[in-house]
Amino acid sequence: MEIRPILSALMRSKVALVLIGLQIALTLAIVCNALFIIGQRLERMQRPSGMNEVDTFAVTSSGFGEGFDVRSTMEADVTLLRSLPGVAAATAINSLPLSNGGWSSGLVLKPDQRTPLASAAFYFVDAGALDALGLKLVAGRNFKPEEIGYRTMNDNVTPAGVIVTRALAEKLFPGQGAVGRQFYIDDPRTTPPTTVVGVVDRLQEPWVDSKEIEYSVLRPQHLPYGNSSTYLVRAEPGRRDEVMKQVEDKLAAANPSRIVRGLKSVESVRAEAYAADRAMALILGAVIVALLTITALGIVGMASFWVTQRTKQIGTRRALGATQFDILRYFLTENFLITTLGLLVGAVLTYAFNVWLMTHYESPRLPWHYVPVGFLCLWALGQIAVLGPATRASRVPPAVATRSV
Amino acid sequence: MLAMKHLQKVYRTHLIETHALRDFSIHVREGEFVAVTGPSGSGKTTFLNIAGLLEEFTGGEYKLDGVDVGGMNDAERSRLRNEKIGFIFQGFNLIPDLNLFDNVDVPLRYRGFNAAERKRRIEESLGRVGLASRMKHYPSELSGGQQQRVAIARALAGSPRLLLADEPTGNLDSLMARGVMELMEEINRQGTTIVMVTHDPELAVRAQRNVHVMDGQVTDLGEEPRLRVPASPEPMPA
Repeated sequence: MEIRPILSALMRSKVALVLIGLQIALTLAIVCNALFIIGQRLERMQRPSGMNEVDTFAVTSSGFGEGFDVRSTMEADVTLLRSLPGVAAATAINSLPLSNGGWSSGLVLKPDQRTPLASAAFYFVDAGALDALGLKLVAGRNFKPEEIGYRTMNDNVTPAGVIVTRALAEKLFPGQGAVGRQFYIDDPRTTPPTTVVGVVDRLQEPWVDSKEIEYSVLRPQHLPYGNSSTYLVRAEPGRRDEVMKQVEDKLAAANPSRIVRGLKSVESVRAEAYAADRAMALILGAVIVALLTITALGIVGMASFWVTQRTKQIGTRRALGATQFDILRYFLTENFLITTLGLLVGAVLTYAFNVWLMTHYESPRLPWHYVPVGFLCLWALGQIAVLGPATRASRVPPAVATRSV
Repeated sequence: MLAMKHLQKVYRTHLIETHALRDFSIHVREGEFVAVTGPSGSGKTTFLNIAGLLEEFTGGEYKLDGVDVGGMNDAERSRLRNEKIGFIFQGFNLIPDLNLFDNVDVPLRYRGFNAAERKRRIEESLGRVGLASRMKHYPSELSGGQQQRVAIARALAGSPRLLLADEPTGNLDSLMARGVMELMEEINRQGTTIVMVTHDPELAVRAQRNVHVMDGQVTDLGEEPRLRVPASPEPMPA
């Protein structure tokens, strides 16, 4: 191999070497970190909410006029919804996972505990919630219809029993089994503790950015906001869109003193919740493609220029005994060396960039395998990019050596 | 050493055919120093290119050191070129980004010699042209005459049987040209066959035989050579 003379010749073309090497280094640093960020975003977007998202949708009723009775409306609406053909289950609910809006509070085990053990989202639901949400009960029991009460914004009524997620149960009562245990969900100085009556496998908080996203509490209470109420409906498999079409009309016809709005599938709620993540992944993906394209074109351009510039030299090498393959190998080796030098600098830049992201954006540490995989990809890209010019070089006839121009 | 019989070289385009060489026959014996002269466009360079296996011919027969080169593929021609032929070009054709050591090393690497053998040959051939002390210098740091000496060292390093020189003093002043010519005569005295293409009559008369080319044909094969006996034979190891 001609590594030493190629390197020594490259050292005499430092500007080109530095420019293309720097381009490769920056490409590695940006591509590795961008891919890592994309991976994180995709992983975030793929987290299960814990509920059935495929067959469910939400709808909101807002009453108007004096004398609108939100409580009786809620009961009538839930009854109506459950009676509609194609509806598998329905519940009144204050908020939805992925909706980025809801109610949360700190939880403590003792009245004098100052620092909450965890912060959890509250879902105010009725006994049909587990069915409507499609949750899996892993311990304890569901709510009984007679346990369902009302909670307004100003009434501090704590339910006797609640259902919690498995993650929250483990957080509050690690390794002990949560059913039957008590903790405080409202102000511990003025309200009694509540008892865990059931544990569901998982149900995310409404806030997708929450660090404690798996901590949720189901409260057996209706929570009307003024005259508004929200319902979650689970359709029979494959009938969601069909049911959605009729729900709005049916609810409006049942009670003309309100507006029915906010009809939205949970799938669309998820899409909205992660729109920024999806956009970020797409933009970064486009940046990666653009960077790789520019780098490949840079290599092609540089190699093409060098082939043209060195035509006489190539002819001389051929005259001195180089085969076509020798010339091809020369340019491939030269590119490999340039790429490797760039990649070595790029590896340092990659980790430096990651440290900067960790410092300023709380990004996790880049897994070690990103850089070696990046090396392999950019080596391959470099070799593919230089193959065209190198092949052209190998076709330079040896007779070029004796041409005077 | 070099035998061409009724050689033809035709360049074809879709419009015209150009006969660069026609019925070209020449025989160069081992140890000869032959000058090939002729006006511009006479076919000298085409002859040199074919003799050096840089170009293929379209008809006739060419034997190099007894080997029929007709029908050889590119790789075979490259190998034969590397083993048997040394080139001296008018423009020196040194690689500007390589120092003298690495320049002389180029054909040796293609030959596949190991590092120690290459080093020995490079030092010996650069020493032979008086540039052993400047191995780490780059071509741009040398005069034209010195650069041509490096090119001669590069041509000699592989111990070729045949040295082909294309206007070797064409880019040199008279003093440098004389030095290069004396070096070539010395190399020939030591047994290397030299074929030199030139249009300089003063240079040509210093060869043992002058072959004149006109319109792609040999018009004068020159006098029968009287081979020189090597004065102090110091052949390069094969």
